[in-house]
Amino acid sequence: MDALLHNLKLSWHSIKRAPLPYALTLLILSLGLGTFFSNATLYYWMNRDPIPEKSATLFMARLNSVPGDCTDCFEPPRVMSYMDMQKMSGSGITSAEAAMFSSDAYAKTVENQQATPSQVELRITQRDFFKLFNVPFLHGEAWPDNKARMEVVISKNTALKFFSRTDVVGQEMLIDDKLYKVIGVLNDWAMLPRLYDVNGRRSAEPAEDIYIPLETAYDLAIQSNTQNSYFDVDWDGNMATYPQMARNNFANQLQFWVQLDSPEKVQQYQQFLKNLVADEKAAGRHQRPEGNKLDNILNVQKALRATNDQLDAFALVASLFLLVCVVNAGHLSLNRYMANQYEFSLRRALGASRWQLQSQILADVLLSSALAFAAALFFAQLGLWTINSLLPGTRALASWDWQMLGVMALFVLLISYLVTLYPALKTSFSPLNQQLKQ
Amino acid sequence: MSVFLIIKSLLRRKVITALLLLQLAVTLGLVVNSLLLASAAKDLVDQPTGLALEQILTVRVKPTSTAMRVEPALSEVISRQLAAVRLIPGVEAAEYTNQIPLRQGGSNSNIFETDRQDESNVDSVPYYNTGSQIFQVLGTQLVAGRELTELDKGTQNIILTEKLAKQLFLEQNPVGKSTNQGTVVGVVSDFYSQRYASDPLFGAINFVPMARAEMGYQLIIRVAPGQSEAVRQQLTDVIRNAEPEMDIGTVMRMDENRDEVFRSEIGLATLLAVLSGLMLLVAMISAYSHAHFHALQMQKEVGIKRALGASKARVLLDVLSESWLTTAIGAGFGILVCYALNISLAKVISIPAVPVWLPLLTMVLLLLCVTLATWYPARIATRISPATATKTL
Repeated sequence: MDALLHNLKLSWHSIKRAPLPYALTLLILSLGLGTFFSNATLYYWMNRDPIPEKSATLFMARLNSVPGDCTDCFEPPRVMSYMDMQKMSGSGITSAEAAMFSSDAYAKTVENQQATPSQVELRITQRDFFKLFNVPFLHGEAWPDNKARMEVVISKNTALKFFSRTDVVGQEMLIDDKLYKVIGVLNDWAMLPRLYDVNGRRSAEPAEDIYIPLETAYDLAIQSNTQNSYFDVDWDGNMATYPQMARNNFANQLQFWVQLDSPEKVQQYQQFLKNLVADEKAAGRHQRPEGNKLDNILNVQKALRATNDQLDAFALVASLFLLVCVVNAGHLSLNRYMANQYEFSLRRALGASRWQLQSQILADVLLSSALAFAAALFFAQLGLWTINSLLPGTRALASWDWQMLGVMALFVLLISYLVTLYPALKTSFSPLNQQLKQ
Repeated sequence: MSVFLIIKSLLRRKVITALLLLQLAVTLGLVVNSLLLASAAKDLVDQPTGLALEQILTVRVKPTSTAMRVEPALSEVISRQLAAVRLIPGVEAAEYTNQIPLRQGGSNSNIFETDRQDESNVDSVPYYNTGSQIFQVLGTQLVAGRELTELDKGTQNIILTEKLAKQLFLEQNPVGKSTNQGTVVGVVSDFYSQRYASDPLFGAINFVPMARAEMGYQLIIRVAPGQSEAVRQQLTDVIRNAEPEMDIGTVMRMDENRDEVFRSEIGLATLLAVLSGLMLLVAMISAYSHAHFHALQMQKEVGIKRALGASKARVLLDVLSESWLTTAIGAGFGILVCYALNISLAKVISIPAVPVWLPLLTMVLLLLCVTLATWYPARIATRISPATATKTL
């Protein structure tokens, strides 16, 4: 321990003797690391598996059923119609299935009707949503079936915001002037990236505030705020006929998710979809070619072309920048060690072993790692702030956990050692008398 | 000093030289590709939109009560809002619309000529449900037929943009043709509609009342030149006074909407520009400290040269020419790096190919930066007096 402290003291002295070159080396190294970390942080959050315990069993299903006789249209639309959803449900093969879309509304409590309503994000979905994505309940439970009912599940934050407490099962809320009963309150939950709805590149958005049954939404003409695609729909816009129209036309807005517990089940479900299309074709519907898609949850960003390409491009460039900085810092530290070579050689001449010199160098590495880590975190924060103000849609992703900080610290140590390695070896192992002569 | 001697001295310090060259090469590659992306983003942003960007304001509004989101209350609210907005000094025209032009995406529908669905179908065409002042707001020119008037309200008559009319009806006269969206009565000049529609310049306009405002609607306002800021300041209050139960979004000028559409491209280009600046800075720091260190090492050598009659300028040139040579060699490798990086980037994003002159221009830039950074240490090297430098010989 004493030796380490002594070595650290020596390092500090050598820094003080020539502060500018050292500061420049440190600046360059931490700039490179900071840029790399800020990008790696976003990259990590964007590409991680948000639900590792069951991601292999979750799939989004799509049919290529929209009208129009087009022989080379193999790619199904991003969103499905109510009719598609009905056909794909009830196969008996899945262990959970739910259709869904996102919307928004204005909500207030019954007690506080005079208040200005506040905007809430809605997820319109079915009973199995909570089971599919392991959404934890704090109070109450999900709907018993998929029928229309004026009952909602709300997030913990929504409960706190509107009622100032969490146990609000049985309370009533006005959502877009309609009265709903709260039947469940979720515990803190977020899926990052939000892979259950990546359409419109919204995978970095937080989870919704309020969950409303799908059938209720169709009855009340609540529509998707992400994508509504109408195909050959002839409708006069009369809201009274909306429920009827939306259920029987290609008014596409749904994403349909299934849980398939084994590879055999996946195959069975694919066969089920194939048979479905064959039957439809036999009945004279389904004009486009068969183009069923069953995308795993980890591939869904790619399938809906919702990947953040700009971030990928920047990742490549940031890695190159790190390379340049490391090379540069290596170059600078080589210069620095060569300037100190005389001192090192003198110590060796006075009987210091090469390993004692190595431990001195290790102390050097330790000190510069600590400084570089602090500076790199600062630059990374700056970088995250810059990226978030320039590339929208990644704001929810800019945080670090202890694990990430640990990995980053190790990385800095490794890079600092790498930067010092060659100069250190060179000073400790080159011929002694030649150096002392200089 | 001859090039040969410089190379010989560089070869004596192989590792340092290799590190320096690698760094210069990557820097050049990155700066070239960043410049390319920045110019591509600029072209995207500067493309003609057919709209007077500085004279159009837009604001999204949505009634907070559901009763007001359906007819007849909705039309009544909209006309009250429009009447109030049109009274603001500086406003030339104002209209409601289900969506505004210059967006990434939005409401669109397929369109085809009746009886020719298979040949003429266009999958995704933005449609505008709006009113009669829209042409004045957008500033479109009439190309064929007539514009819609109040009498067309609620009819199936539509106006198409020029490019869409050409796509649907080829060289035939579009006026009077029947489509699944209605009968074409006129054609107006193109304007930038939605980036991800079948074509950004496709658009169809009809005079249908909003009917419902579940997704809200937009108010779009034409202002006199130079009046946009004055109008913008009053707009929110005027709309709120016309109807208080209203969620009013941010007032945007059309060029702000445009920047929003191309935001990821502009963002990436800016990020890369920042990074390029940092890279040049790093290259300068490295050149500076290299020359600085070198000047100290070479003290004796410089002293001898000075003693033998080399002028200060000559010594300065010696130090600088070494920097120039390393930069030039490094940049030479950099040209390879910049093509390799261009190819890898093209796999993830769309980036133009590298024109020949750009790497050369960047090389000159790099040389300039390095010269600037080497100048000061080189000057110090020349200040050593021959007497001091040779004292220890």
